[in-house]
Amino acid sequence: MSNRMTIPIGPQHPLLKEPLSFMITVEGERVVDSTLRLGYVHRGIERLCQTKTYVQNLHLFERVCGICSHVHTTTYCQGVEALLGLEVPPRGLHLRTLLCELERVHSHLLWLGVLGENIGFQTIFMYAWRDREIALDIMEELSGGRVTHSCNVIGGVRIDVGDAQFSSIVSQLNDLEQRVEKLLDVIQHERTLRVRTQGIGYLSPEKIRNYCVVGPVARASGVDVDLRRDCKYAAYGWLHVNVALAHEGDVWARTMVRAREAIESLRLCRQLLVGLPEGPTQVRAPRRVPPGEVVSRAEAPRGELLYYIRSDGSDKPARVKIRTPTLTSLITVHDQLEGVETADVSVVLSGIDLCIACADR
Amino acid sequence: MNLPRILELLQEVLPVARLEVQTMPIDEHSITLPPDNLHAAVRALLERSHVYHLSTITGQDVDGQIELLYHFWEGGGLTLRTSLPREQTSVETITDLIPGASFYEREIAEMLQVTFVGHPNLQRLLLPDDWTGGPPLRYEFTLPDDREEGE
Repeated sequence: MSNRMTIPIGPQHPLLKEPLSFMITVEGERVVDSTLRLGYVHRGIERLCQTKTYVQNLHLFERVCGICSHVHTTTYCQGVEALLGLEVPPRGLHLRTLLCELERVHSHLLWLGVLGENIGFQTIFMYAWRDREIALDIMEELSGGRVTHSCNVIGGVRIDVGDAQFSSIVSQLNDLEQRVEKLLDVIQHERTLRVRTQGIGYLSPEKIRNYCVVGPVARASGVDVDLRRDCKYAAYGWLHVNVALAHEGDVWARTMVRAREAIESLRLCRQLLVGLPEGPTQVRAPRRVPPGEVVSRAEAPRGELLYYIRSDGSDKPARVKIRTPTLTSLITVHDQLEGVETADVSVVLSGIDLCIACADR
Repeated sequence: MNLPRILELLQEVLPVARLEVQTMPIDEHSITLPPDNLHAAVRALLERSHVYHLSTITGQDVDGQIELLYHFWEGGGLTLRTSLPREQTSVETITDLIPGASFYEREIAEMLQVTFVGHPNLQRLLLPDDWTGGPPLRYEFTLPDDREEGE
């Protein structure tokens, strides 16, 4: 006799921070099958952007994601600038990259907190989110916004760093680095966390390649991809990025990769500030974009982000396609869930760092 | 990205006289193929070159045709481009070669009404179950006026 049961997780569920629907089929305590339905926060952004000008779209694309808003406009601006043939001043590129790296720190710490909460480890949730505040404070000091910064413009950035800000930011970065080092130490040695995450949600390098998974999930399975190093967009050509890798391929490895990445990002932030070139931060961009098409890629906190932009010569884009990194990892959930216990479903779902608003657009 | 090598490879496996190559900004090249040859081209790329990462598939309604762009990445961008006539929008799926293409194909299927022949589960991904407005990314689609009466 079969004792199969189908349990819905979502669209509204304490486990999920955004609406998404999973139907998991269990046999006793084991998950045997799962199906996924997206679209609960689909806003039709790809269609809507065709009715707005390139400048208006900056504000639209910033709202694709509530966590990594800056990298969306970075990728978009980079594409439009390439179509226009604009050369962004080095100071502008450095500041743009600085925000990207701060955003990565804030995103990874946010994720660590969510993982802690989902496995019932409230302490790490409290600590990670407390420390994340520092990254948000720095971003607020730079741009005036904590989450949506409206910092990028086509042709550069609208912010600048003065002498007083410089020393304040560097001291905050040093403080934050010490705190993240401490968190990394906890992840490495705290038994509660290891027991809940080790061996859960395993993905082999072959699966990563077959499903075209990107970002920390791929790197935690030993697939060495990072567009910051491989593509050298924005100011990454001036920087040396040490890519964090792990080979275990489970949720614990993903935790380690993200924590190490956060520390590396803080190092890059300091390097960017110290080596900040003099000069203007932006150049003026024309309203109309010459006909053409471009594929713009960047490494968002969750992995490769892609914008395809086609211009027909007017002041509005003819087509913009956005592929966010979460979509790639969502495909793997079915494989990861197979055979895990129901109590570990939350760990698997946390492990890939879901951003549903990103995936739905 | 070793473009000459890839061109040579595709030329060898496909019955196409001459492949049309376009250069795009930010280190990206696109190769135009007839829709019937797409599956064979992807297979050749996976089996006989280092290319394995499909970033995404873009679908768009342009110049009276539905155009599909398969964006690959291998140390540089490579886009395979194919066009389908609007009356006959079906193309062979590549999910048997790249399982990760599943969501991208489902999205194009609902947004542009393209049938991917052989796809194991071509159900809706993003649009609501009761959506009756037609494929939203087709040229003829107009945004519905959702203001209530009296506004």
